[in-house]
Formats: sequence, C-alpha cells, structure tokens
Amino acid sequence: MRIFWLLFSYEWRHFRAAKGLVLLCALLLFTGLYGIYYGTTEIERQRQHLTTLPELTRRNVKELKVKFPGPTDAGDIGYYHTTYAVHHPDAWAALSLGQRDVNPYYVKLRLLGLQNQLYATDNTNPMKVLSGNFDLAFVLVYLFPLLIIALSFNLLSSEREEGILTLLLAQPVSPGVVVGAKLAFRLAVVLGLAWLLSVVGMLWAQVPLDGRVGTWLGLSTLYCLFWFGVALIITALQRTSAFNAVTLLGVWLLLVVLVPSLLNLGVAAAHPVPQGIELTIKQREEIHAGWDRPKTQTMNRFFALYPQWRDTATIRERFVWRWYYAFQHLGDLAVAKQAAAYANGLQQRYDLVEKLNLLSPAINAQSSLNALAGTDLPTHLKFQRSATAYHDALRAFYYPFLFRKVEFTHNDYAREPTHTFTSQPELSTALRGLGKLLLSVGVVFAAGLLLLRARPINPR
Amino acid sequence: MMHSIAQKEFVSTLRDKRFLVLSVLVLALLLAATLVGRASYQTLQQERQLAQQTVNDQFRHQPARHPHRVAHYGSFAFRPRSGLSLLDSGVDSFTGTSVFLEAHQQNSVNFSQAQQSGSLIRFGEMTVAFVLQMLVPLLIIFLCFGAFTQERETGTLKLLLSQGVSLRQVAWGKIVGYSRAVALVVAPALALAAVLLFGTEEFASGADLVGRLGLFVLSYAVYFFLFIVGAVVVSAVQASSRAALVTLLGLWILGCIILPKATANLGATLYPAVTKAQMDADVHEEAQHGINGHDPQDQRSAALKAGLLKKYGVDSEEKLPVSVGGIVMSESEAYSAKVYRQHFADLNATYERQNRLSDWVGLLNPYQAIRPLSMGLAGSDFAHYVHFQQAAEAYRYALVQRLNALQTSMGYGDKERKLDAHTWQQLPLFAYQAPPLGWALPRLLLPVVALLLWAVGLSWLGLRLISNSRLA
Repeated sequence: MRIFWLLFSYEWRHFRAAKGLVLLCALLLFTGLYGIYYGTTEIERQRQHLTTLPELTRRNVKELKVKFPGPTDAGDIGYYHTTYAVHHPDAWAALSLGQRDVNPYYVKLRLLGLQNQLYATDNTNPMKVLSGNFDLAFVLVYLFPLLIIALSFNLLSSEREEGILTLLLAQPVSPGVVVGAKLAFRLAVVLGLAWLLSVVGMLWAQVPLDGRVGTWLGLSTLYCLFWFGVALIITALQRTSAFNAVTLLGVWLLLVVLVPSLLNLGVAAAHPVPQGIELTIKQREEIHAGWDRPKTQTMNRFFALYPQWRDTATIRERFVWRWYYAFQHLGDLAVAKQAAAYANGLQQRYDLVEKLNLLSPAINAQSSLNALAGTDLPTHLKFQRSATAYHDALRAFYYPFLFRKVEFTHNDYAREPTHTFTSQPELSTALRGLGKLLLSVGVVFAAGLLLLRARPINPR
Repeated sequence: MMHSIAQKEFVSTLRDKRFLVLSVLVLALLLAATLVGRASYQTLQQERQLAQQTVNDQFRHQPARHPHRVAHYGSFAFRPRSGLSLLDSGVDSFTGTSVFLEAHQQNSVNFSQAQQSGSLIRFGEMTVAFVLQMLVPLLIIFLCFGAFTQERETGTLKLLLSQGVSLRQVAWGKIVGYSRAVALVVAPALALAAVLLFGTEEFASGADLVGRLGLFVLSYAVYFFLFIVGAVVVSAVQASSRAALVTLLGLWILGCIILPKATANLGATLYPAVTKAQMDADVHEEAQHGINGHDPQDQRSAALKAGLLKKYGVDSEEKLPVSVGGIVMSESEAYSAKVYRQHFADLNATYERQNRLSDWVGLLNPYQAIRPLSMGLAGSDFAHYVHFQQAAEAYRYALVQRLNALQTSMGYGDKERKLDAHTWQQLPLFAYQAPPLGWALPRLLLPVVALLLWAVGLSWLGLRLISNSRLA
C-alpha cells in the first residue's frame, strides 16, 4: 500500500511538471464552466420567454374587452382569445438541455381544432440547432472521454519507451500496483474535475438536493470509469503509444460518433413514423367539410359524444358558434387515430434506442442524463398530452356558454382555466441507464484485468 | 526527385496495413452514406411530392365555396429536397418540411426530422458530407502524422537530404504522394454519387447540377489538401510522432467539434431572436392598430369604404358594383402581409447575424468554412431554406389576393353566394423552383475566401517554416 501511494504521489509530481496535461485539464475545466453557463442562460432565457406569455394573454384580453365592451357571445371570445399551454423546465434541464431547443416549450391555443395548433413550432435558427447544445452533458459525454484518452494512452508505453519501466519493475514492485497507481491517479484527476463541474453546475442551476444529485454523480462517474476500463484494455495489450492513441480514438469515434449515427439510420428504417403531415391534411379536410355538411348531421355526431348538450335548441341560423366549434372538434376526433399513431411512432423509436443503447455507453449516458433532466422525448409527449387535456378543459369551460347561450362577461376571463406543466424527471429511465453503465464498466474492467493477468507486463 | 518521393509515399501508404484498414472503412462508410442518402432522398422526395399532389388535388376538387372560405381552407407548401442534398443534407433535418398557407397569417414550417429522431440525431447524421468533413481529415491525420517525424526517428531524413534534395522538395513530394492516396479513397464514392445523381435526375437542371457537383468536389479537394499540408507541417515541426499525432488530433477535436458548437451557441446568445408568440402578438398589434398606432383597422376600412362610394358616385354599399368586404379583406391582407414580411425579415436578419459569426470563424477554422460551402452548394443551407420560405409566402399572398379579388367581383351580398369548383381549378398551384447556382455563389464568398486563404497561406507559411528549420 505504501508503494501504491509513493507511485501515486510520483504521478502527481509528474503531472504538475507536464505543462500540456495541466493545460488540457484547465481547458476542459473552462469548457465545462462555459457549458454550465450556456445551459443555465439558455434555460433562463426559456423561462424568461415563458413569463412573457401571461403578459401576451393579458394584452389579448385587454384588446377583447375594448372590442366587446358588454356581455357578448362566448363564441367570439373563443375565436379571438389566445392562451398558452406552457412547459416549464426542471432546474436540471440547465445541465442537460436535450431536445428542448427542437421541441416547442409552449403551445398557443384557441378554442379551434387542436391538432393543427399542437404541432406549431417556435422560431428556431436551423443552423444553431444543427450545431447542437454546448451544455454540461455534452462536455461530460463528448469531451471527458477525450481527456481520459489523452491522460491514459501512454499509461505504460511511455515508461517503456523511455526505458524507465525496466528500472521500475526491477524494484520489488508488482506490475499490477504500478498500473493500479497510475490509473488511480488519473481517475482521481478526471473524477475530481467531473465532480467539481457537476457540483458547480448543480449550485449554479440551483437544483433541489434530492436523490437525483446522487444519480447524476453516479452516471458521470460510471461513464468516466467505462472509459478508464477501455484505456486499461488498451494498456494491457502493451503496444506503442502511437498505437494506443490511435486505437483509443478509434474506439471513441466508434462509440460516440459512428454507432449513434448508424443507430439513428437503423431506428428510422425500423420504425418509419407516419408523417405528421398526413394528419394535418386529413384534419383540414374534415374541418372544412364541416361547413358543407348539413348542420343536423354534425350536431348529431357531436351529441352522440356529448349527450349532455342534446337538449339544446335546434340550429336554424346560417351560422352559429356552437355548430362551428362542434365541427372543429369533430375534425380533431377524425384524426385521433393518426395523432396516436404519430405519437406512438415517436415513442417506439425512443424505446428501441433505449433497448439498443447498451451498444454505446455514450448514447446511454446522454439519454440517461436527458431523462434525469426531463428534456427528452417522453417528457415532450407528456407535455403534448397535458396540452390536449388543457384544450379539453377549455372546451368544457366554453360549452355551457355556447350551448346554454350564456353571455360571456368581463369577469369570465378570470375564470378561464389556465395551464402549466413542469418537466418531471424520468428517474426509472435514468436508473436503468445507471444499471446498464455499471454493466458496461464491469465488462471492460473484467476484460482489462483478464488481459493483464494473461499477459504479464513486459518491460521492453 | 520530388516525383520519386511522391511515388514512394504513395506506394508505401498502400502497403501500410493500418492505412488499408482505415481507408477501406472510410470508403465503405462513404459508399454506405451515399446509398443511404440516395434512399432517404428518394423516400422523402416521394412523400413530399405525393403530399403536394394530394393537397393540390384536394384544392382543385373542392365543392362550391365562398372565396374567403377557400382562403382559410388554404394550401400546403412542401419543401422539395435539392438533388445534391443526398450528399449534404445540411439543415434539412432541422427545418420543417411543410408550411400551411392560409389567409391572414404566416405559419411556421413544421414537422422536422429532428423532432422525430430523439436525441440520437444530435450525435451527427451519417451523410456523405459528415464522412468527408470529419472522418476523412482523421484518416489524413493518421496517414500523415509521421511524415517527417518517422523519417527522423529512423534516420532516413539525413540520408535523403544528403542526396541534395531540399526539405521543401521532400515536403512537396510527401504532400503529392499522400494526396494521391486520399484521392484513391474518396474518388470512387464521389464518382458513384455523380452516377446516382445523373442516372435518375431530370436533365432539365443538368448544367446547374453539374456546376454544383463540380464545385462541391473542388472545395473538398482544397479542404483535404490543406489538411494534408497542415499534417505534414505539424509533423515537421513536432519533436516526435507521438507529439505530432496528439497535436493534430487536438486540433481536429477543437476545429470539428468544439468550435462549431461554441460559435453557434455564442451567436445565439449575442443576438437573441424573438419567440413566435411574441412575434405573432406584435404582428397582430401592428396589423390592427397601424404601424405607428395612428390608423386602426376599422378607421382604415371606413376610409376605404368612403373612397369607394365616392369613386363610383353612389350613396350606399348596396349600389356598389364591388363587394366592400372583398376590398377590405384584400387591403388588410396587403397590410398584414407587409407587417409579417417586415418581422420575418428582422427575424431572418437576426439568424443571419448569428450564423455570420460562425462564417467568420471559418477564417480560423477550415471546418467552419467547408461546412457552409458544402451546404450552400448542395442547396441545403439556411439561405436556400429562406428562399423556400419566401417562395411559399409569395404564393400564399398571391393566392389569397386572387381569392379576395374573386370575392370583390361578386359584388354586394357576396356572403350568401358560393363559387363552383371550376373556379378553383383556374388558380395556379404551388410549384417551387430552387434557385440556381448563380444565386447561391455570392452568398458563399466568405467561406470560399476562407478556404483558399487557408490553402495558400498554409502552403506558403508552412513550407517556409519547413525549409527554414534545421530538421535533420
């Protein structure tokens, strides 16, 4: 044990002397801090945008109060009044932004058909989303493996190439302890950095101190351990530094770049998502046919679903709002199957990736961190369901006005339902990811140790 | 002498097992990416064509309707993919595929691939451009990092120089030799892509396509060339093969992964864009109350009506030969479209400012020069996307105004009447014509200049550095 610590402290001195490595660590620390800064400001910006929405609604109500000074037909209000379904980020989202830049985080709603409102995207710069987010998760998943590779590619080979290994192994030191001490030192440096950045990120983003802190630290630790395991395997092969560097980078390229992009192709081919566009086209047909159909036919279909309004007056007018909103809603129902198929298709793709991400710990780590932060597809689908429920609540609010012919007064604006949805972390997904990472770590370390045992370290 | 050095590098590269494995891998990826790109191009293109066909047919076979109903029934514009997007899909996966065109408002372009792919797409898409921009440079690095260091480590450089060859000649010989080896890997895939492109694509846009493909190949040739020169130079100035390799890989990571992301995000932070909700509210406000708040919509329409009565010399709306509703509709469409256009122009200007930052960084980082150049030539960059958006808006505006004109000509009491299906068949359909190469080129000047500066500067400075140093 004493020898272990001796070697460990020797590594520390060696590391301090090597300007390049210190510089590299400093650089990574800096990029990590930038990642935290970027993630928190991005989420702050989204929050800021969300706080402007009630103000927009207030402006809209003010305008409507001028336009309709007295009690009025609620149909007009439902048509001109806009509210928002909002998707508030969890504090953790700042550390792993996931798909929050691609999927809209609010939906503008009127009483009209839901489906063509639900999929409207926010303004986005495609060039920016193409480049992707520079958040802490990116630094951990993409860049930390590179630091680990840079620190460990010449774990033994440089000593051998400089002829020191012969001298070292001539002492009463077991080769296992040498490798162990060297790995342990690098592990301490890397994990120190990862934990430091994580803790800084958590404090900066002001996350609640619950079990997720441990899960996040566990995920990042295991992910780093996995890469050390890969480095151990390569070290155990006992080849030259150049070979090690090339091989390690090849593994990085394979797991971080190639497997994900190939998997993306495979998943898209395995589960062709029914184009959402089909849905909107069909819905448009249904809704606009509503104008041309006999009114009694529309209303009878509507009453079959909402018998509580069956006893309302028969429509004789050329135009009346309750008929208009009835066929808008029937238009939604006509595409319910397509809407479900679209959402299911997305979910199935996600599930397939969840199954296959054992192939690449990078995908696994990224999706686990996103799941932890509630920034992934399932959360977005939950938000869409919640927005749908909100639209249902709006309809339920307006129907008595429309069908009982109650006039809408200025006081009724305040009674209108509002919507709020906050991301929930998918802890079970994150924990499953943790388990899978543990498995990956076990496999690489077992392979590395077996290799080391099978082939004793050759000083030359 | 230079030729024999080049020949030696070429031959020994081909004999090198590492290179063989790597280049077979890269070649396989390139071929796969080409075929996959072709397949996805075809499916997406077919889907969109079919969808466009469907909505066009639906539009033409509408029942008898009032023109304003038809204006709300609207139409869809689908963004066709450009022929070369099978090589570089650019921002295609991150822009929506379709936009709903209707009266009174401009909608967002919805349903992007990125929304359907989960977070996987963020790791990068397997396209020809991806392989060419990121993986081939890696291949070059692995190929060239030992160009000088290995000769020095084995002592052959001294021998070579004692033959009376200059260091500069050695360097050029190596560059030429490596270039041949790289060409051997890349050329077959690009040739296949060209065959695929011209095998099925209509020859109507043939010349334009040939021009784009030619420039595409040429830009990548320059890009690879400067990587080869850069790698040889680094190999000459670094003390050991290991140091050269680590330096080059570090530069690759910095240039291909960290910088592009950082500048894109920095751009978005520096020039924040307005949200859709805010923009829609502002547009609504201005359209209702006038741009300077002085002439609200009802005042504008009252003035319009008074003017009409005066023009036709009648004293009531019933006696007018035209529909006041139609004219008001048409005027307010013109007004709101103007407001929308202004806001979209501002938004796009913000995005362009964000992207411009990245383009300027292209002067520091060749990856950020080849990326916009490649997308621009493939017709899948932001400018081409905006071109589509504007074409869709121009069509939307023209369509809605035609419908308003129809309503106007129906005269007083138009609300009670409908026009039959025959009317809708007379209206032009949306057909998108992607802009020609001549339109795209001026926008790509900065990346072209950046790439050329890199190639020339690196060759000049780097080789000076090599010949001035005492390497042996």
